[in-house]
Amino acid sequence: MSSSPLIRTLDLEKTYVTETIETPALRGVSVELHTGEFTAVAGPSGSGKSTLLHLLGGLDRPTSGEIYLEDQPMSGLSKDQLSRLRLTSIGFVFQAYNLIPVLTVLENTAFVLELQGVVRGERMKRAKKILGELGIEQYADQYPHRISGGEQQRVAVARAVVSEPSIVLADEPTANLDTATSLDLIDLMRRLNAEKGATFFFATHDTRLLDRVNRLITLVDGRIAEDQTQTATS
Amino acid sequence: MKAAIRHMMRNRRRTILTLLAVLIPIYFLIVMFGFINSMVQDMFESSTRFDTGHMQIRAEETRATGSALPLMNDPADALAALDSIEGIEWSTVRLDLPALASVGDRTRTVFVRGVVPEEIDPISNMADRIVEGEFLTSTSPGVLVGEELAELLDLGLGDDMVLLGAHPEAGLGAIRAPIVGIFSAPEATIGRTFVYASLDTARQLARNDTAATAIVIRVDGVVGPQDAALMERKAEALRAVLPPGFEVQDWLELLPVMDGYMQILTPMLLIMAIVFFGLGALVVVNTLYLSVMERTREIGLIIALGASRLRVMGMVLAEAGIITVAGAFYGALVGVGIILIVEAFGGIPLWGQMAAYMREIGIPPVLHISITAPQVLLSAGAMAIVAMLAAWMPAWRASKLEPMEAMRYVE
Repeated sequence: MSSSPLIRTLDLEKTYVTETIETPALRGVSVELHTGEFTAVAGPSGSGKSTLLHLLGGLDRPTSGEIYLEDQPMSGLSKDQLSRLRLTSIGFVFQAYNLIPVLTVLENTAFVLELQGVVRGERMKRAKKILGELGIEQYADQYPHRISGGEQQRVAVARAVVSEPSIVLADEPTANLDTATSLDLIDLMRRLNAEKGATFFFATHDTRLLDRVNRLITLVDGRIAEDQTQTATS
Repeated sequence: MKAAIRHMMRNRRRTILTLLAVLIPIYFLIVMFGFINSMVQDMFESSTRFDTGHMQIRAEETRATGSALPLMNDPADALAALDSIEGIEWSTVRLDLPALASVGDRTRTVFVRGVVPEEIDPISNMADRIVEGEFLTSTSPGVLVGEELAELLDLGLGDDMVLLGAHPEAGLGAIRAPIVGIFSAPEATIGRTFVYASLDTARQLARNDTAATAIVIRVDGVVGPQDAALMERKAEALRAVLPPGFEVQDWLELLPVMDGYMQILTPMLLIMAIVFFGLGALVVVNTLYLSVMERTREIGLIIALGASRLRVMGMVLAEAGIITVAGAFYGALVGVGIILIVEAFGGIPLWGQMAAYMREIGIPPVLHISITAPQVLLSAGAMAIVAMLAAWMPAWRASKLEPMEAMRYVE
């Protein structure tokens, strides 16, 4: 990739400190992510996948090192500035508890747009459109507890991309799904990557999904053990 | 806002509890306000109507007169000054004299109150209090005595009473007056000590054809102590036009007991309000705090998605705001509703010792409740503010949640 990276990390370290124990989660991670990539970060439990995603998403701060989003360093940003950054530039899909239970699927999808201050008519239009594109428009008026886990994750993906962020970060989005549903979800993300140019960076420890990405970063003990570009298979 | 309403609907029991925490203190306070208002108003009305009026013109005390009021030799100038003041509902001249009442071999110290019988109605319901005989007329040479004095002196209708004037500024007059009526006094002390006579009869006793001790005045538009400012304005206006030698006494000087009550009631109400509001606030804090705890993961998610701290606070406060507004509204509605229902049935009649005590201090033994719009607004508004302040803490806590920690939170 020759273009300027969307995200660049430099010697990223994160150590969790409790009263008596220091647990290093990331030990000097330097990585570049480019616009349009469909990247997975894999590795065993405790390898630092989620920590890396949280740092990239501005949900946590590194112990040392720097993160640049579109060449802007994130370390100097206040909590409110980080919130603003998350709102405007980053889409999130979490492992579980992704949706607000008292809002319908449509309202959940439009929620980020509401936070951005998009007027109601416009945000509903955009939310309906993305639900339609993801094939879940029939659930628009349902509450999250009325639909399956796989459908809930689809709604989460819809919400993550509806505002067209610079990057979508997904933390083990298939962890609670069965194999078929997991593959469906990853394929859905791939479709959005291909059709809409959405950049995805997701963590997974599910080896069945790894051949579906263009780039695979493997973390072991908080360090990048492997960073390989590959041809995705369907 | 929609989410706040749905949260409230989802947790109906908690919402109702919070609503009641706001509603009940307002309801209690309004009803308490109502009772106290009414009690104060009854006392005020009873005292000002029977005895003092809203203010009085008296002679300036230049030398000690003991328990007797200083004598005005001629109230004409003061009456002329009073005529120039607008907004005076009614006034009358009165002459109060200490005297000795003697019947046979029994003698008692009394106060002879000389009144203009035809003018006394607006200030006193004396005519209605006659239990035997008849009320006075201006030309009547007779006197009225209370049931208590009649019993003490063994007096009946038509009996003669010898009165010996004992005012230090008046001549030593003596009259023999027949008892034309016996009245039931609002207070036993009044019944034992007051003898009512026409102003002319009292003046004979003072041996002064123009003497008076007070011009008793009622101010237009005064309903209760809440109209203190109006009464004070009239008193000030009157002071400005009165000739030298006269002074104006306002209701607080005339009714020191009332002033005392008012001084006790205000802090008492304040303490009650603090207790009610404090308890309400505790429940509001508790329930909203629980709500925030239960929604920790949801709030974490919302923050993670990019909601500002202010927005998160706003969400919790919106929920509190809806409950508070509803609670304040229904609290006021229930409070005012109860008052209207009670008053529609003529108040709550008292019985036994309480009724006797109320009669003794001159208040009808019926418990009325009355409330003013500002008091309703004050009760509801103050509780709403307290509830919103109480909601601030859980809202602030919600806004300070770290998104990832919050999303990992397990109830």
